[in-house]
Amino acid sequence: MRKQESLTNNLDWPLFSVFMVMLVLGLTTVYSVAYNEDAPNLFSFSEKYGKQLMWMLVSLFLGLMVFLIDSDIYRRFAVPIYLSTLVLLVVVLFMPAVHGAHAWLGVGSLGIQPAEFAKISTSLLLAKYIGGLTVKQQTTGTVMTASSILLIPMVLIMLQPDAGTFVVFTSFLFVMYREGLTFDPIILSFVNSIPGVRYKETWVGSHFIPILVVVVFLSIITLLLDQVTMNLNLFSYHFELSGSSSVVFFMGIFYILAWLFMTRFSTKRERSRMMVVLSLGFVLASLISIGVDSGFSSLRPHQKDRIELFLGMREDPNGKDYNRNRAMAAVGSGGFLGKGYREASVSSVRSNHVPESETDFIFCPFAEEWGFVGILILFALYIFMLVRIVMIAERQRSSFNRIYAYCVAMVLFYHFAINIGMNIGFAPVIGIPLPFFSYGGSSMMSFCMMMFILLKLDAQRKDVLH
Amino acid sequence: MNLDARRNVILAFIVFVGIIYTFRLFYMQVIDDTWTLRAQEIAEKRKEVFPPRGVIFDRNGRKIVTNRPYYNLMMVEDSIQNLDTMAFAKLIGWTKEEVRERFKEIVRGEGMYYNKITGKRTSNYQSIRAYPFLKELTLEEISSIAPHLSNFKGFHEEATSARNYPFQSGANILGYLSEVTREEIEEDHFYKPGNNIGRAGIERFYENELRGIKGIKYIVTSALNNAIESYADGKYDTVARQADPLKMGMDMVLQAYGEKLMQHKKGCIVAIEPKSGEILSMVSAPSYDPNLLVGRRNISKNYPKLAKDPNLPLFPRPLQAEYPPGSIFKLVQSLIGMQEGVINANTGFPCDKSMVGCHNHPSARNIAEAIKFSCNPYYYQAVRRIIQQNVKKSAFADAEYGLNKWYKYIRSFGLGKELDADVTGQRPGLIPNSAFYDKWYGHHTWAFSTIRSISIGQGEVKLTPIQMANIVAIIANKGWYYTPHFVKSIGYRGPLPQFRKKHWTMIDRRHFDPVIEGMRLVVNEDGGTGKQARMNDIIVCGKTGTVQNPHGEDHSVFFAFAPMNNPKIAIAVFVENAGWGGSWAAPIAQLMIEKYLKRKVTDKDKEKRMMEAHIAFKNVD
Repeated sequence: MRKQESLTNNLDWPLFSVFMVMLVLGLTTVYSVAYNEDAPNLFSFSEKYGKQLMWMLVSLFLGLMVFLIDSDIYRRFAVPIYLSTLVLLVVVLFMPAVHGAHAWLGVGSLGIQPAEFAKISTSLLLAKYIGGLTVKQQTTGTVMTASSILLIPMVLIMLQPDAGTFVVFTSFLFVMYREGLTFDPIILSFVNSIPGVRYKETWVGSHFIPILVVVVFLSIITLLLDQVTMNLNLFSYHFELSGSSSVVFFMGIFYILAWLFMTRFSTKRERSRMMVVLSLGFVLASLISIGVDSGFSSLRPHQKDRIELFLGMREDPNGKDYNRNRAMAAVGSGGFLGKGYREASVSSVRSNHVPESETDFIFCPFAEEWGFVGILILFALYIFMLVRIVMIAERQRSSFNRIYAYCVAMVLFYHFAINIGMNIGFAPVIGIPLPFFSYGGSSMMSFCMMMFILLKLDAQRKDVLH
Repeated sequence: MNLDARRNVILAFIVFVGIIYTFRLFYMQVIDDTWTLRAQEIAEKRKEVFPPRGVIFDRNGRKIVTNRPYYNLMMVEDSIQNLDTMAFAKLIGWTKEEVRERFKEIVRGEGMYYNKITGKRTSNYQSIRAYPFLKELTLEEISSIAPHLSNFKGFHEEATSARNYPFQSGANILGYLSEVTREEIEEDHFYKPGNNIGRAGIERFYENELRGIKGIKYIVTSALNNAIESYADGKYDTVARQADPLKMGMDMVLQAYGEKLMQHKKGCIVAIEPKSGEILSMVSAPSYDPNLLVGRRNISKNYPKLAKDPNLPLFPRPLQAEYPPGSIFKLVQSLIGMQEGVINANTGFPCDKSMVGCHNHPSARNIAEAIKFSCNPYYYQAVRRIIQQNVKKSAFADAEYGLNKWYKYIRSFGLGKELDADVTGQRPGLIPNSAFYDKWYGHHTWAFSTIRSISIGQGEVKLTPIQMANIVAIIANKGWYYTPHFVKSIGYRGPLPQFRKKHWTMIDRRHFDPVIEGMRLVVNEDGGTGKQARMNDIIVCGKTGTVQNPHGEDHSVFFAFAPMNNPKIAIAVFVENAGWGGSWAAPIAQLMIEKYLKRKVTDKDKEKRMMEAHIAFKNVD
């Protein structure tokens, strides 16, 4: 039974409103940052704000189309949509490079970036595929398939190369985590091949997100310690430790202490199991640390530079760290109330101290103009939006809808966290846009489409039976 | 496995990042001011604004030094796109190679920066900064280039100002500007690379008075270092102030006239207003147009030419040419003799040619006649009385005593030392004392007979033209002088303090009358040596001189002041290699006096003859 009295029937007004407010805020920021005295009209299409407005209107029109079409097509056509995006991702590799990356399809300002749209199609196919699985059904094959849906576009994007979007694709791991997808089948097939070992499940396989966090943490510690050489004198032996060896050294001390602790305070049954976990943990962590260390030293110099600069191990404010240094200066100089609208002295396009301040670094002018108060409002809007999407996801009857909603939430979250992180020294500088703010047609259209599809799916959630 | 709990993990993650970022931003924006300072460093530039240099007026209120707009063609390497070198070279009238070489030259000119920590050398050149590609273009030059600059991205014009000399005269007095050296910048932080500094003349001596007060502007700048807007609406800015104008004692019309009279000759004219010490004119011939040395391009083009000119136009003759004074010294000797009481106004000496040569004239019966005839033997005998006063038993000791006494008198005329004038590069001249001769001949081995040539201003005695003109001014004033100077007032503050102090000679006022009478006779009575300087209605007092020149023809010299009873101008004229003083120097002095006192000259023939004469002048092209 379909009751479609109007387009806005069952529309989630809170999300829609925040979405629209962000679009308006984004446009005003682009207007401010790219302001040209000679063409102050918002509708001057020779200027970036004029173009951005045009892209926005196009996106809204696309949104209207989404609302006119039954949402069932996304599930039904997920595979063809996904495949056609893959084709575009392959085609784009043969296009001429712009700023060293084969990312643009088409010419000049009218070009599009297929990578932006790949986020939508990957979300749809992932939703369709994982939505059709149950926990019991998970085999090596299904895990491999789900991973491949992610990996194929990621590989193609890395070939462009576009490190930013590549990283964004890892956001889908959170969705898989939420859906209980486990890498156990693969891990078990390795582990159980050891004679005498018979595990039904590993904790590692399904809790890959916490493990990822630990791995990242360990890697950063290892790299930071790489710079410090520790001199130790133990029993008249002299040790010089650096990087991974010092991490292993400290973990070894911790391991011995934990061992002593356990032998005193735990029961025998627990003890043997915990010993295994502890030893395995120690070995794995040491391997990670050593791996990161040797991996780092085998990197090419410019890659090393990036990592070193990001971790603050080295400063180069006028050289390789130029963008981030200028961006942080712009953001930090905003103060509590900001410098006022169109008063961004560091990050306006005209002053040009912050490169890409209308695209990837658009957070700068916003933070500079509106200060901490503006930031609070922006964060409130974003967090509200993300939480609202998660809430919407959780209220869906269909798992397709839920998974898709989670995909949207996590992609937006990644963009939010990394983009703003770049501006405050919390994330490496990888070029990804701030959704709804950054200037650019492809990102504007793809984020809007994502949102509109989500809103449409949600509006029709009651129609869906499965 | 409870998957729904994982929703909370994800929500917690989102909120956690939001909170962490909020704290971080609160720290960056509100608590820590590192980044605010960094932003100021990046975007807010303290820009120094240099005012136009002070203008200079002459004694009659004519603007003789002004500023005029000039243009630099600037380039920003990073903004240059697809430069059509051929077309650009054609536009500025260069060859392709010259354009390429200029780019390299700009980079080289910035020098290298040595990083002590890394030990690396990097160029100071920054491709995002604007550098002058062509400097000091005139309005005409830039207006033929500017309309086409839109075809050459990365090039733009910038207005600056340069000196302008509306009268093409007085180069030797006014001096010129040139770019500051690195040492000068280190010594005085007022300057920035590319600034100009007074290099000679008034421009140099009054550098601090002319440069003004620089202003400071806080501006918001772009990464290309372009100014965008003023910071905080100019609340902290200070205004650049142009220096007060200098008013010179010089009469520019007289100066120009003097240069014209002296053209195709070598020599100099110094004219002083006796009652103030203001220099009315100081011609150093040959002279050149001061506009030839405005700006780097002009200097590099014209300076070598001027420096190589065999007539030495850059040699400041009035200040640095040290001549034996010749006959003008007889005036001073008369005064010292009378003051010492060894002669009086009516002392006569026979013209005894056995001691020294003289021309044919009756013996002088008094000082006035001695001056009129410029009698050499007269002064031999008179000066012997000054030097050998028979106070000591030994003739040598006596000469030592006398010479040192004489030396003190001479020094009170401002001789034997640099005058404290407002100009650099004076020579002191030479007045010998006993120590000088002791060194030369040995202690007590010399007497008047050894040093007698000083009595007629020959021998060891050397004076500069400005010192000689000052002697004339002293005689006109009857015993005192103000140090000769160019600038009569800095703004409304009057001259420098040293020019407000009257210097008295050791000669009593009454002794000047016979000397002045003698000078009147020189010009106004038949048989006088300076009748070429006579005027119908104004009494000119003068003295001819002929400076012996071991290298060639003698120099023609004439000194004069006028009018006799209210002296308004004291003048010294030197014409090198022109022979006898009455022939060239006297008529030139007369024309100068007439021009100054009456503003126009009646004897046009004489004027024409003087202007057209070529004397010992090497033509150069």
